Amino acid sequence: MGEPKPEPIEQLRQRYKDEWLLIKVTKHDRKGLPSEGVLLLHSPDRKAVWAMTENVDGELYVCFAGSTVPEGWEAVLHGSVSL
Amino acid sequence: MEAFRFNPSAPSIIVPARLLGPRGVRWVDLILDTGSTSTVIDELVAQRLGYKLEAVPSVQVTTASGIAQASVIPMRQLLALGETVTDLSVLAMPLPLQLRADGLLGLDFLRRRNLFCNFSRGILLTLPFAQNFGQRCLAAACLFSAS
Repeated sequence: MGEPKPEPIEQLRQRYKDEWLLIKVTKHDRKGLPSEGVLLLHSPDRKAVWAMTENVDGELYVCFAGSTVPEGWEAVLHGSVSL
Repeated sequence: MEAFRFNPSAPSIIVPARLLGPRGVRWVDLILDTGSTSTVIDELVAQRLGYKLEAVPSVQVTTASGIAQASVIPMRQLLALGETVTDLSVLAMPLPLQLRADGLLGLDFLRRRNLFCNFSRGILLTLPFAQNFGQRCLAAACLFSAS
């Protein structure tokens, strides 16, 4: 079996909706953002994806292919530091 | 002038960020958060980047739901929105599992440039603090007025 081919990252996001992706970046757009890569792992388990980064060299991109908050949830962020 | 696209119908503005730590380069998605005084990454991400959280100072953080503890890590480099910052103090703390992003891009990073946001078209525009600011604003106005 040959090496997996790089694919556009947007295509990977569409294919693995609502999963965490670990991508080895192979190409950047003109702004320097990752645009193409080889999918190394996809999983609903974020910890498993980050654990895999231990075993791989190179420029890696970890991202979630979907909304930042689950349906029916709202995110209330904010934080300030007290020394 | 740097322009970046975001999904205007998504619940958060996601900014891809390049982090450089002791174990190399990792790209992550951060949520743009002008309510956060500091940039934050999940502590799992900090550990995988090679930072030892027990060896760095910690601070108290007030959040929307109470007070938490965070480690202060010296991020070797953070690149986002066309701006590269070296040796940035970044907070590392556990983020809620339900949050599907690896951190927050806070004001300590954002205030290094002027930032404009077009929510209807999903465009973020950053402008360095420069002498020809008027010209740059004109360029921004052109960009924002186009539909």
